Amino acid sequence: MADKPSDLVQGTLDMLILKTLALEPMHGYGISVRLEQMSSGTFRINAGSLFVALQRLERAGVIRNEWKATENGRRAKYYILTQKGRRRLNDETREWGRQVAAIARILEA
Amino acid sequence: MWWLRNFALGLWSLLRREEVSKEFDAEINGFLEMAVEEKMKRGMDRAQALRAVRLEQGSSEVTREIVHAARWESFLEICAQDLAIGFRRLWRTPGFTAAVVLTLALGIGATTAIFTLVDAVMLKSLPVAIPKQLYRLGDNNNCCEMTGTQNDGSFVLYSYPLYERLRDQTPEFSQLAAFGSYLSDLSIRRRGDAAAAQPYKGEYVSGNYFEMFGIGAFAGRALIAQDDTAGAPPAAVMSYHTWQTRFGSDPSVIGAAFTINTVPYTIVGVAPPRFYGDTLRSDPPDFWLPLAAHPDRWLFDPGPEWLYLIGRLRPDARPQQVQARLNVELQEWLGNHREVIPARDWKDIAQQHVHLTPAGQGVEQMQTDYALGLRLLVILSALLVLIACANIGNLLLAHGSANRSQTAVRLALGAPRTRLVQQMLTETVLLALMGGAAALLVAYAGTHAILSLAFRGAHYVPINARPSIAVLCFAFITSVATGIAVGIAPAWMTSHSNPAHALSGAGHSRGDRSSAIQKSLVIVQVAFSTVLLIGAGLVTQSLRNLEYQKFGFVTDGRLIVNIAPALAGYTPDRLTGLYQQLHDSLPQIPGVLSASISWYSPLDGNNANERVVVQGKAPDYRWTAPSWDRVGPCYFETIGTRLLRGRAIDEHDTPSAPHVAVINETFARRFFPNEDPIGRRFGMGDVSHGGDYEIVGIVEDAKYQDTRGPAYATFFLPLLQSPSGENVRGWVSAIELHVTGKPENIEPAVRQALAEIDPNLTVLKVVSFGELVARNFNQERLIARLAELFGVLALILVCVGLYGLTSYAVARRTHEIGIRMALGAERANILVMVLRSAFAYLGLGLAIGIPVALAGGRVLADQLYGVRNYDPTIVAIAAMVLASVSFLAASIPARRAASVDPLIALHYE
Repeated sequence: MADKPSDLVQGTLDMLILKTLALEPMHGYGISVRLEQMSSGTFRINAGSLFVALQRLERAGVIRNEWKATENGRRAKYYILTQKGRRRLNDETREWGRQVAAIARILEA
Repeated sequence: MWWLRNFALGLWSLLRREEVSKEFDAEINGFLEMAVEEKMKRGMDRAQALRAVRLEQGSSEVTREIVHAARWESFLEICAQDLAIGFRRLWRTPGFTAAVVLTLALGIGATTAIFTLVDAVMLKSLPVAIPKQLYRLGDNNNCCEMTGTQNDGSFVLYSYPLYERLRDQTPEFSQLAAFGSYLSDLSIRRRGDAAAAQPYKGEYVSGNYFEMFGIGAFAGRALIAQDDTAGAPPAAVMSYHTWQTRFGSDPSVIGAAFTINTVPYTIVGVAPPRFYGDTLRSDPPDFWLPLAAHPDRWLFDPGPEWLYLIGRLRPDARPQQVQARLNVELQEWLGNHREVIPARDWKDIAQQHVHLTPAGQGVEQMQTDYALGLRLLVILSALLVLIACANIGNLLLAHGSANRSQTAVRLALGAPRTRLVQQMLTETVLLALMGGAAALLVAYAGTHAILSLAFRGAHYVPINARPSIAVLCFAFITSVATGIAVGIAPAWMTSHSNPAHALSGAGHSRGDRSSAIQKSLVIVQVAFSTVLLIGAGLVTQSLRNLEYQKFGFVTDGRLIVNIAPALAGYTPDRLTGLYQQLHDSLPQIPGVLSASISWYSPLDGNNANERVVVQGKAPDYRWTAPSWDRVGPCYFETIGTRLLRGRAIDEHDTPSAPHVAVINETFARRFFPNEDPIGRRFGMGDVSHGGDYEIVGIVEDAKYQDTRGPAYATFFLPLLQSPSGENVRGWVSAIELHVTGKPENIEPAVRQALAEIDPNLTVLKVVSFGELVARNFNQERLIARLAELFGVLALILVCVGLYGLTSYAVARRTHEIGIRMALGAERANILVMVLRSAFAYLGLGLAIGIPVALAGGRVLADQLYGVRNYDPTIVAIAAMVLASVSFLAASIPARRAASVDPLIALHYE
């Protein structure tokens, strides 16, 4: 079981999940598919890492959950971004932008 | 605040474990199902899709494990699991569990008991307000009455006028209190009670005593300054313990009229429950009486020095400055009162000084008396704990080895080492806690036992045997630390054993680390036990030498009775009559062979001394003043002191007969070297008294005060020839009886006879002479008995250790032994082979232990009596005892090894 998240920059999985949920509430599988799609297959998240991250975010109070029916008629646990989560996403996005720009400047120098 | 939320959610999921895990199962199954559906949509059949998803995502069990492990509360769950496993494993090996718990209980229990004592005796402050503000004027425990200059110039005993002066001239003390340096016997009866007066202990204190300590009364009121003024109605405060045990906590006692030494008193209050006075001691005062009520008014002259002083310094006062000021005052006072100081001491006046010492613990009498003994006991118990630790370490190693193949299987299956170590440590800590709990019981019982050993003959010791919080923490931390300390190595080693080795069934892999450690642990055990045994041997021999030394009197069949005529209102003119009655009636008691009376009897704590002048010789002040005693007829034959020359004091030595004296050998040697003392004259005081007494006899030396040193030079004068002015001390207080059979049996008859003479005559104490002498060695006995006990425990532990190691070695070498025997080795050879290795450990242990014991013995040297700290006999006995015990322990497995059937051994495993 190769650990895909090790391919991710440390600490970015949380941010990516929050970003995914910022669009609309989503269940676990949906999040993993969405992440894979949006990164054009670069990031593959396995269930273990995903659920550990979701559990962590939920305990931090940035997301909450709700059981709802999917379009296919099965019940799934949907994760919803909270107000706090939205603020966290904004902060982290801004910080990420700053860091990426800085790294880019160093690499281009 | 995320952690608070995390904590709450964690707790929530812990409480609803079932639901949470069911919910998670639904979620993860949904996840996987959706993934499968997705793949099927892309054209895989269901079986292919399932396989692909499993490959991509791993098994759902693993995922569940990972997610679960990421929660903090799962750590708790693991601990709980480990605890459960630990309990199960311990339950399945009851022998091992019992051995470890017992070892810990004894080792830590003994240490805790001794630490309780150390805490209570050495560390606890007086139960009074802000003890650290208290200072004592003086630094030693000299007692009881003195005149003139004091030992080494350090003033500790003060006369009443000097106290008043210091109290009034030293404003840095918010209160400066005085109290008698010794307790007084009291004869007390509640007014209106039919029963005879009972003996109690009392302390005379200044009126500000309770105020100085900053304590009130539990009921009623404490003594106040007005109680301590001439003409004030006599008032007394009762101790809480006395109130509770002797008066049943009767509230009507407060304000009640009591007769104390024939004087009417009012009990104005009861002292606080934990208050035992200014000095931690056995049998503390039952009553506190104001100094002004003291019957001996001569004690208030400038001459007699008999008071201890403790004061409370104001918070802003500097002890150094106060001390300097006190010194100036003392010098000035002594300079102005040269008339009460003997002329020979005048030259020492300039050296007299006050050493101001912290008195948060009061007068440090017990602290001083027991400091060395307690330190010794701490060392002994530490040794015992170390031996116990070595034993537990060994047991754990053996236990770990037994589980080695199980551990190997778990390692091979991929269990993380940290998890295995954690589990094993949990087991050890569990054991340690069980041992710790058992140790507390041992400690509680042990403290009681130690207190009764240490204070044999005491009615009440104001020391709580219940371990304090500090002691409980000490025991808890010690046991857990012991558990972890001795558990970590075996746990680490077991978990690092190579699974391949262990699994290949090689129970006979020799030379691995754990057996090397086991061997060194046994060697260490033997070494420490050697030290303990030699120490125990030395103190035991020393005690025997002390108890069975030549005292100069005979204790067998002797009974000592202490009475106090003064407390019953006897005045000097009535004493002669009382003496006569005692002299006549005591020998009439059936079973009494002879009876006598005296001021005091040997080794009962009393001693009087006085300088003497010999007629025809210049006064010689080189010697310490000889001791003296007044005795009645038949005294020497009754206590069994042999008369060497001349005659003893008898019925003819009446007041009107010539005044005579009997001296002991040392007195004769010191004052009449190469002369015949019989017929010579001497006297007490100055040259004008040189002819007072004629020496009529010489008796053998007998020890009256110091049991370790040689007997003091002593002279005896006839009781009936006391001059009427001689102070209260001169009244008979001891009755000696030589009886047939057990001395205690005659006690009722003696009490009866005394009651017939005078029902008001208070009997302070009835005790056999042997017991009286034995109480002089309480501390030595305590140390000896505990050292013996620890020695026996150490032997048992060594036995267990050696037995365990040897049988373990034999079990692992069964295969080898089989081969040896198949190749023709005799059973005797095998026996010798096994025993040889056991004796190698013993030899090494002794080789380490004996030098350590010899070096450490120097600590003991001052404590020992009649035995050197390197006594070869005791070292040899200790080595022999250890050797025979080791032989016993090793011979059982050795015999087992020798009886191995080679065929079976070769098929073993």
